[in-house]
Amino acid sequence: MAGSALRRLMAEYKQLTLNPPEGIIAGPIDEENFFEWEALITGPEGTCFEGGVFPAKLSFPPDYPLSPPKMRFLCEMFHPNIYADGRVCISILHAPGDDPMGYESSAERWSPVQSVEKILLSVVSMLAEPNDESGANVDAAKMWREDREQFNMIADRIVRKTLGL
Amino acid sequence: MPVTLVDRLPLPNLKVYTAGSVLLLSVAVYYALSVTSDPNWRANATLQRQGAMGAEGEGEVLGMVQPLAEPTLAAANATRNISDQFVEVMTFMMQEPLCMWTVINIAYCALALFGVLVQRAVFGRLRVAEAQRLKDKLWNFVFYKFIFVFGVINVQYMDEVLLWCTWFTAVGFLHLLGQLCKDRFEYLSSSPNTGKWAHLRLLVLLGGIHCACAGLFAAAAHWGLPAGRDTFAFMFAECLLVFVSALHVVARYGLQAHDADAAGPIAYYTHLVFDSVALVVELVHVIHMVVYSNMLVSMASLVLLMQLRHLLHELQARLRRHRLYTALQHHMQTNYPMASKEEVEKNQDNCAICWEPMKEARKLPCSHLFHNSCLCQWVQQDASCPTCRRALAASGGSAALAAPLAPAPALRLPPGLEPPTVPHPNHLFHFDGSRYVSWLPSFSVEVTRVRMEPPAASQIDAMVRQVQAMFPQYPAGVLAAELAATRSPALTVDNILEGRLPPPPTPPPTEQPPPTPPPQAEVIESTSTSEPPPAAPPAATPPDDADALNAQEHIPQAGPVCGRFSGSAAAREASLARRKEQLVAAARARYRARRPASPAAPAPSTPHDS
Ligand SMILES: [Zn+2]
Ligand SMILES: [Zn+2]
Repeated sequence: MAGSALRRLMAEYKQLTLNPPEGIIAGPIDEENFFEWEALITGPEGTCFEGGVFPAKLSFPPDYPLSPPKMRFLCEMFHPNIYADGRVCISILHAPGDDPMGYESSAERWSPVQSVEKILLSVVSMLAEPNDESGANVDAAKMWREDREQFNMIADRIVRKTLGL
Repeated sequence: MPVTLVDRLPLPNLKVYTAGSVLLLSVAVYYALSVTSDPNWRANATLQRQGAMGAEGEGEVLGMVQPLAEPTLAAANATRNISDQFVEVMTFMMQEPLCMWTVINIAYCALALFGVLVQRAVFGRLRVAEAQRLKDKLWNFVFYKFIFVFGVINVQYMDEVLLWCTWFTAVGFLHLLGQLCKDRFEYLSSSPNTGKWAHLRLLVLLGGIHCACAGLFAAAAHWGLPAGRDTFAFMFAECLLVFVSALHVVARYGLQAHDADAAGPIAYYTHLVFDSVALVVELVHVIHMVVYSNMLVSMASLVLLMQLRHLLHELQARLRRHRLYTALQHHMQTNYPMASKEEVEKNQDNCAICWEPMKEARKLPCSHLFHNSCLCQWVQQDASCPTCRRALAASGGSAALAAPLAPAPALRLPPGLEPPTVPHPNHLFHFDGSRYVSWLPSFSVEVTRVRMEPPAASQIDAMVRQVQAMFPQYPAGVLAAELAATRSPALTVDNILEGRLPPPPTPPPTEQPPPTPPPQAEVIESTSTSEPPPAAPPAATPPDDADALNAQEHIPQAGPVCGRFSGSAAAREASLARRKEQLVAAARARYRARRPASPAAPAPSTPHDS
């Protein structure tokens, strides 16, 4: 099983290298362990995360693509759908069986036709449009609703931090 | 929760151990030499030898020896050749307990050195997981064999203990090597860049293990049979277990070489046969031990019975998995027919699960095609089409399908390859030595890994309340899930304290409905289709902005680097790192260009602002 996971990951890596989506880079840092990837995601234009380059870690299970990978941002993040420890809470990353929030239809959840590229693109759109129904970070969700000015300031600070400025 | 077996055992490093052993041996040899070359001792020894040989006329012999001793000794000293002296020293050392222990010690040392040599030659550096598994296995083995020698066989004499130790050392050594081969095979087959040599070395070692097993069989027949049928059966079963597990790895190589379908019948039945043979042999072995020891109320038989229970459980689980497999196969056969040749040819897409082309495929009712094995594995997990998410259970129609369609994840196929579930072993005993003295080892011996039925809801509730009294911020649901896994408030508290249980999000405030964010899809769309970064710095960029210029120098290189996917891992890794650097540098330059002066300025172009 791990063999087929590996072949699929290799195929995805190849595709992401040859045809990278704009502003997204992903791949295994150390190919000794092909099940741990690092991704760089550029904050979408025209949003408060614009211009930032956010590093994240993807951990794939041995039965990938039957089960989804886990994704965790490696930099500080302040976003309604990202936990304080960097874990990303989006429906595409939830296995079909589990539904911790109880609000997703199974159509939005993980299936083997999803891919790293689709995950990362969903994360980009999540950065642009937070879903404040899932309260991964309640403070961020509240600030997003009530004090957008301050939210943008924090986001800008994080963007500058990721760029080392 | 990691298995906390032998962790802090102060095992000396091999160099120190070898040096110590050699030193001890040389001291012992020196001692033996000095004693044996002492004329008095020699006289005594010859005396004893003559006394033993000639029981006739003891008195006169004794009288004769005394005056003869001096001249013969002198002559002997002069002509003493090396081999005589060696035999003498050896016999002396075998008689002297302290010397004998040093000899045994040096034998173990040599074995350890040999083991390390094999490890270096075949495996290179052990990975952490492998080393950990090896340690677990070793201590489990030592524990069980201790039980066996003193609890089952109940040996009384030191010689017997030594003989059994020698036997178990050989068996255990092969056992560990076999385990290492298995782990390494799994690792090699799941990593992309393995040379042929790594596999070849492993196969050679597996061949060696088989040869050594044959030797053990011969030894069992030669020494075990005369000692009784029981002894022979014990020895035979142990050899057989090592042999079967090594053969299983070889069989996996065979399957891999033939590129067998991981969920196909050939692979499945191969694993089934090996798994059940190993389980049955071990079961019979343990039952034999219980019957032989003939004492139902003793520590040893308690341990054996627990192991028996564990084995029965495993066997049961294996059978259940087999029934599931056959039911699933039947279900797939009847409900999702193989697609016809034309359908497969017409379908240009690869299998959506593994991304590989399809020569033959199964067709779901929604007319999506997948590989048989891919679909088989997916259907065990979720009863819907991966592509269109249409539910499959409804289309099946028969009630018998409900069971195979929703099996627990623990029942996944194929055997031995399921994702490593976090084990929650039951420890028979746990010894935390460092509590008493810092250098004492801390270990626990794991006896069973039986997955017990989950505790009743009321039990969990009680435990949840117990834990929540200490950690009120954790919601009951999270704690209940954790407690269902650990079954122990103490373990859960440990997990929380050591940060293994992530802190929960505080429940979201429910005061007001969230404002729907303005549609931004176009914005994202435009980012992903906009031109590459060189166009991004706006015209307002001051021409003397060095960073922006740098970025413009950088960016043109980004194109060609992206376009290659090298065949070598190192080149890929380097290219990935380079592309990352470029991405960050370009983003930095763009950010500077956009906001040259005031870094504190709020984000200018967020459409949500006003
Ligand atoms: Zn497939
Ligand atoms: Zn479908």
